[in-house]
Amino acid sequence: MLMVELRAQEQQILLGIEKSGGRASVEQLISVCGLSDAAVMRNALTLQEKGLLNIYAATQSIIRLTDESKVYAVDGLPERRLVLAVMALGGSADLKVAAERAGLQVQFIQIALGWLIRKKWVSYNSQNNMVSILKEQLQGGVVGEGSDEALLKVLAGSGSEQGVVFDELSDVCKADAEQLKKRKLVTIEVKTTRFLQITDEGKMALSEGRVVESDVSQLTPELIITGKWRTAKLQRYNIEAPVAKAWPGKKHPYLCFLDEVRSKLVALGFQEMMGTSVETCFFNFDALNMPQNHPAREPSDIYYIKDPRFGDISGHDVAVKNVKETHENGWQTGSTGWGYKYSFEVAQRLILRGHSTCLSARTLESGRVQIPGKYFSIARVYRPEVVDRTHLSEFNQVEGFIVNSELTLKDLLGILGRFAVEIAGADKVRFKPDYFPFTEPSVELSAFKEGYGWVEFGGSGIFRPEVTKPLGVDAPVIAWGLGVDRLFMMRHGIEDIRMIFSSNLDWLRKKQVT
Amino acid sequence: MPTIDIDYKELQRLLNIQHNDMEKLDDILAYVKAEVKGYNEQEEMVNVEFKDTNRPDLWSVEGLTRALRGYIGQEKGIKQYNIEPSQVEVFVSRELYNIRPYIACAVIKNIQLTDSVIRGLMHLQEKLDQTYGHNRQKTSIGIYNIDLIKLPIEYTTVTPKEAAFIPLGFTEKMTPDEVLEKHPKGCEYRHIVKSNLKYPMLFDADGKVLSFPPIINSNDLGKVTEESKNLLVEVTGTIHAAVLNTLNIVTTMLIDRGGKAYLTTIHYPDNSEYTEKQVTTPNFNNHTMPLSVEYTNKILGLNLTAKQISELLQTAGLDIQKITEPNDITVRIPCYRIDIMHQVDIIEDIAIAYGYNNITPNWREIPTIGKAKPDQHVINLVRDLMIGLGYQETLNTTLTNKEALFNKMNTPQTPHIELDNPKGTTMTCLRNWLLPELLEFLSNNKSVEFPQKIYELGKVTHPDPTCETKVQENENIAAITTHPNANFSEIKSVLDSLLTNLGIEWQIQETTHPALIDGRTGKIVINNQDIGIIGEISPQVLENWNLENPAAAFEINLQKALN
Repeated sequence: MLMVELRAQEQQILLGIEKSGGRASVEQLISVCGLSDAAVMRNALTLQEKGLLNIYAATQSIIRLTDESKVYAVDGLPERRLVLAVMALGGSADLKVAAERAGLQVQFIQIALGWLIRKKWVSYNSQNNMVSILKEQLQGGVVGEGSDEALLKVLAGSGSEQGVVFDELSDVCKADAEQLKKRKLVTIEVKTTRFLQITDEGKMALSEGRVVESDVSQLTPELIITGKWRTAKLQRYNIEAPVAKAWPGKKHPYLCFLDEVRSKLVALGFQEMMGTSVETCFFNFDALNMPQNHPAREPSDIYYIKDPRFGDISGHDVAVKNVKETHENGWQTGSTGWGYKYSFEVAQRLILRGHSTCLSARTLESGRVQIPGKYFSIARVYRPEVVDRTHLSEFNQVEGFIVNSELTLKDLLGILGRFAVEIAGADKVRFKPDYFPFTEPSVELSAFKEGYGWVEFGGSGIFRPEVTKPLGVDAPVIAWGLGVDRLFMMRHGIEDIRMIFSSNLDWLRKKQVT
Repeated sequence: MPTIDIDYKELQRLLNIQHNDMEKLDDILAYVKAEVKGYNEQEEMVNVEFKDTNRPDLWSVEGLTRALRGYIGQEKGIKQYNIEPSQVEVFVSRELYNIRPYIACAVIKNIQLTDSVIRGLMHLQEKLDQTYGHNRQKTSIGIYNIDLIKLPIEYTTVTPKEAAFIPLGFTEKMTPDEVLEKHPKGCEYRHIVKSNLKYPMLFDADGKVLSFPPIINSNDLGKVTEESKNLLVEVTGTIHAAVLNTLNIVTTMLIDRGGKAYLTTIHYPDNSEYTEKQVTTPNFNNHTMPLSVEYTNKILGLNLTAKQISELLQTAGLDIQKITEPNDITVRIPCYRIDIMHQVDIIEDIAIAYGYNNITPNWREIPTIGKAKPDQHVINLVRDLMIGLGYQETLNTTLTNKEALFNKMNTPQTPHIELDNPKGTTMTCLRNWLLPELLEFLSNNKSVEFPQKIYELGKVTHPDPTCETKVQENENIAAITTHPNANFSEIKSVLDSLLTNLGIEWQIQETTHPALIDGRTGKIVINNQDIGIIGEISPQVLENWNLENPAAAFEINLQKALN
């Protein structure tokens, strides 16, 4: 067998354990060996690796006095002080007089009295405010010490920092401890204690091992202040040894991406719109030229709210009337209309918004829309989809509109081109006819990026007169929406859309920031 | 969005294209807002998706190619369809007015029905019934071999127990009620008729059942095979215009297949509700709509002349009735283009015919001041502080379920917004606090290295009857730390650091919360207003989420905190 080499501190610890009977807590060793907690543990781990000791952990509930009760341990509990005062006043006294004599502060009088009654030390006559000691409590002329008082003394004697182990108490004391905890006179804290137990090999090493002079591992303030560092030999580290991973707090990659989109849109002069995710059918559908029997309103395509079922659109009566007539006969929009009987009840039905275009409708209708104006929203929208790698039932849409006294399809293509370059970093763009119930003409935007190919990136169009006129806007309005989810996935090389709401902490921690 | 299976051989033949290149086909389909979704090489069928839900005229290979031929330069203007008179008459009973009041019919003779044509026809019928006909509620189509039918036809009502007939695909007679109970189509569509005391029924002159609209045809008369030469097409429904439109789409498709169309006469009863007593169908008359050249150019940003517009209209399969230079055109619209409601619909067709990619994009400088939403700045400050405190940001869905929000949190139900038609059981309501989803997040990461410190800043929704949409939404922030020594002090110092750095003076008051440990739970108070809670998660809740490490957390209403 090879001779085991022990460093000085390692030897000290093994000796300390042996002295304590072969097993000792880290706390014990700290005081026995005069080493720091970190030093004990560091050496213990090395010793464990060498098979010279074993480390165990045990949890204990430790009872300690609070600052308040440290005073009581010396002066006595308020009820003790009060009863002593009554005693001194002849076994029966006016509460106020007794309290004064006991030196109790006003706020403690009722508490002390309460405990006296509860402990059945006195009787109290509330009519004349007299407190009288009950004879049966007297033992040799004094009221005997309660077990809670005894416990306080034990705790005070044990050294306030160390405390007493809860499990080592008798059952009576345990109950007292719980009682004192309720009175906030003690704290009970769960503490993990580590024990070191020496192995047979450890014992052997102590008797036969060779002690070597140890290098200094950690440069300490003490070494620096005392100047001992000049003679100390600083241990060489294995700098290639793996270290524990450190995880920074990071923003969520998808929200970072939305932040970036937001700041680009703000830089392009767009104002952000807001609204609740619960919306009326009026703003989600009717105001956007989608008739009340449109297939997108089927329960398979939109979430309806169970309770309450109806919102209140009475604040928009002009727009509601105009939209109703537009649906029924085209109103003044130059449209044929849908030719059916419009229902106000259907209009007020509450849903979870299926697209964020409802926010554009609200802004146009608000009467506060500025012309020229540019608006955008980043909003959570909802569809009853079965969630899989390409579908979410809840996702974000980025969309908005531009209103100006003059705007044409040519301008719309220009804006889309700018979006593709600014937001998607596209090299080339391409346009295709598209369809939305609320825009005409409608354009689909594809962006080409080296390495990604052509990607469908957005939809857009000029709001139909059936949309803008009833909402009180006569100027042309270009509406646009961007496929941000797809762009995000493309940029991060993600193929499963569910990763947007990923609950994989490891992935979030390791995800490279961009 | 409707998707249609198209016989690719037929498509190639009708468009006179040879290639098998799906990308090129995609480019052509873009003219009508459609794209290839798939190609089954073995059956030579292309699956085409249409973005426009208002163009049922495109939902057959015949209709699709009719629309595309103009754009690829093979045919210009409107295709004319002829129709001959006939003696076929249909009599409508007065009781139908409140049940399913309208019918339109056409007779098609001398048609050659190959297997491919029958499949295309069935497919078109199905899509029209489903999408345009709102699952047969608004319109539904029946097709019969007219040689088996004794004329005239009667469209009338029966009681649920009379007029038993053999429904398509069955061998025994069933009463209408039995059809609704036993036949798969009866089960699927019975909600349309069930509430009526009487059901609609089509009979021939011998009293034989043609069909039980909109449920099922009879097996005897309502079956079309490759041997059928002469057909009766019938559409019933609740909206007259929709019934007529549907008939036109089916009939023109059959004419494109070489059939010859004949008129039928529908006799409506004397009820005052019916404005027209006698209607001949189908009606292939074109519509007209005035178009302003100036308006067209104003929308497109182009400088087109009336003549240029005329040519583009013909490319798009429309035509000119007359031009009143320089500014007004009367556009002719074929009977099957039921999507055109407004000049803008025509103007888009002009733009598509012109070619979107032939228009030079223009960046119009519109000077406006950009602005993020008012609370965005402070939201970002809070997020910066939280990540600075070492907390990982998470993003969770606002849709969740009551089990997570309340049961697993050991918490009685608090007011929240529930869905009427949830899909599945995990997403049934909107969250009204954030902590449950943070615990759910932790429960998915039990084997990931500790300590775990996460937060979410996100929306929560509460019912509020005083608001227009009956809800109030707030931005909340919740954070949680979990590891073997996680405790109250740790999370309290994080909260204190967050609020102090935001310049908020706050107090804590002891309270109780069913999800938190008694004696380790605080109410967070600012200016005497409760803005949230802080505490150690109760072991019962940890157990419910299957968590093994202690956890301490807080959640505050950010809006209230910052007011």
